[in-house]
Amino acid sequence: MTERLRRFLLRVAAMSGKEVLHIQRDPRTLYLALVMPVLLLLLFGYGVSFDLDRISLAISDGDRSSASRALAGAFTRSREFVTVAEVGPDDAERLFRRGAAQAVLVMRPGYGKDLGRGEPGRAELLVDGADATTANQILQKAEAIARAESLRLAALLGGMAAPPIEVRTWTRYNPAARSAIFLVPGLAAYLLAIGAVLLTALTIAGEWERGSMEQLFASPVGRFEIILGKLLPYLGLGMLQLLLVLAVGASVFDVPIRGSVTLLFALGLLFLIGMLGQGLLISVLAKNQLVATQAGVLSSLLPSLLLSGALFPIENMPRPLQALARLVPARYLVHGLRGVLLKGSGLGLLGPDLVALALFAVAILALATARFQRRVA
Amino acid sequence: MSGADASIVADGLTRRFGKFTAVDGVSFEVPRGEIFGYLGANGAGKSTTIRMLTGLLAPTSGAASVAGHDVGRDPDAVKRTIGYMSQKFSLYLDLPVRENLLFFGGAYGMQGEDLRARADEVLALTELGDLGGAVTGALPGGVRQRLALACAILHRPEVVFLDEPTAGVDPVARRGFWRLIRALASEGTTVFVTTHYLDEAENCRRIGLMVDGRLVALDTPAALKATWVPGKVLLARGRGLLAASRSLRGRPGVLGVEPFGAGLHVRVEEGALEAGEVARALAAAGAADVQIEEGAPSLEDVFLAVVGQPVTAQAGATP
Repeated sequence: MTERLRRFLLRVAAMSGKEVLHIQRDPRTLYLALVMPVLLLLLFGYGVSFDLDRISLAISDGDRSSASRALAGAFTRSREFVTVAEVGPDDAERLFRRGAAQAVLVMRPGYGKDLGRGEPGRAELLVDGADATTANQILQKAEAIARAESLRLAALLGGMAAPPIEVRTWTRYNPAARSAIFLVPGLAAYLLAIGAVLLTALTIAGEWERGSMEQLFASPVGRFEIILGKLLPYLGLGMLQLLLVLAVGASVFDVPIRGSVTLLFALGLLFLIGMLGQGLLISVLAKNQLVATQAGVLSSLLPSLLLSGALFPIENMPRPLQALARLVPARYLVHGLRGVLLKGSGLGLLGPDLVALALFAVAILALATARFQRRVA
Repeated sequence: MSGADASIVADGLTRRFGKFTAVDGVSFEVPRGEIFGYLGANGAGKSTTIRMLTGLLAPTSGAASVAGHDVGRDPDAVKRTIGYMSQKFSLYLDLPVRENLLFFGGAYGMQGEDLRARADEVLALTELGDLGGAVTGALPGGVRQRLALACAILHRPEVVFLDEPTAGVDPVARRGFWRLIRALASEGTTVFVTTHYLDEAENCRRIGLMVDGRLVALDTPAALKATWVPGKVLLARGRGLLAASRSLRGRPGVLGVEPFGAGLHVRVEEGALEAGEVARALAAAGAADVQIEEGAPSLEDVFLAVVGQPVTAQAGATP
């Protein structure tokens, strides 16, 4: 090892060591990096669930036969529907207006008789369509229940009933359509982004604010050594964060890890470097912690939450937003993470994501370093 | 004095910012082990000079070398051989005293046992021995200032630059600090120090006076006083002095009359006027309760003579 290299490493180590001490002494940093992500993950995972259960169902049984009771029972047995009221056939609208029920199952008189004759039994399900997403899910669940019930009847009646139509829709990768599995990769991107950008922006802006940046420049520590020494501890912290989020995702929400863990961390690492570079750029431009915080939050939180596909599918966005989303590194991480976690995708499929993340990281670091140089004559 | 033994050599050092010339053709040499005071109001070019000499700012023209290294061509070599204490003594307040030292040691390429032993040595030297574990932010200004000095001298620099090191520190702590600086210089370290406090500038072996980017005077405190404030200084106290002072101006033997605090500084030619005559003249012009003391000229008088107004008045103009 040459003397030059030894000194370089020594100075980077001094910078990093100091940064680690700062982190240790500031509970807020550790909270922001390690506690907040877990809390948010639990909050989002449990609270912001797109899953529906305990759908309030009103039943209007005009038939009052064993067959009609069997159908109503099929709905409530699944625990996805809960009977809230027994009503007349025309009460649906009133119930929906009051929000007393989300769906009404109406069985006309003669339902059981029709079935007994081997004719299709008719039952209606009225659904409150005010919330389209919910309505769709209710319809899907109802369809599945009705299908199962008709299969049971077919077996019971020995083929006398009309042969059930098999409409099979398969949801792959997330068969139970559980929100957590969809959310965790997106949340990981969002949490990594906000943590990395904010923490670097704060630490470097802090050096400017304190005046210690000038002190550093008057020492033999070079610009690049300052940047490297500052970024390394936060890179470590970010990787720890990623690990934590994935561990919570796997243990609490059963998010699978189907692909290669190496690939997972390669994605995380490249993304983090880009985000740290973004934080660096912000702090070089802002030079005080208040502005750096606001710029950091805005530039990391909003795009990584709204334009990354973490919550809203990019394909459904208007074209200008779709174009904008191409520039958001979080979208490549979200896509990549979903690929590795849920589909077990390999390097072949995720290559473009890795390349995009690497490009962003290189570009933003180059820009930040260039600006950093120029700020100090 | 010439280059061979000089720690700092400035030769026509100039720095412009756009059309504004912050430092204008400044030349001087500082021999090894000297305490060199750099005085001037804010905006006079003191900090810009320091920033050029420490390799933070490239000169627009002219040259300077520090510890034998050219500041324009080899700023990195300069940085390795100097210690620098910036105006706000930017320590890391959340870290303990000793960690601050160890960090700056690492920044200057020190490590291991050598670094730890030297840190203890410097802590003892700056009388911080038992505060090594204290969190820096909890310490009073005077203690932080000594720690900042400790950080600046940890790596045994040949030259130390102190930019307003005593700003905002109480008088007792300031005296202790200057004791440290003198001890440092007696061991061969060259000290380049800027200050607003003219009383403490008496501690410097030589003083350079900056006015509007130019070095207008450079000498020992005694020689500066002899040159710029010749004669005897009489300190007049009493009431109605300012109005009465007009009667003294232009009088034979009177070299200058300047308001000084609540009193008057009257400079007279040696042997030409006695204290009693000045008192009588002031009383005749309407002053009451006049008392006259003979005083030695201070650097404040020098500054008044050079700049035409007190240093503090200018210092207050641009915070």
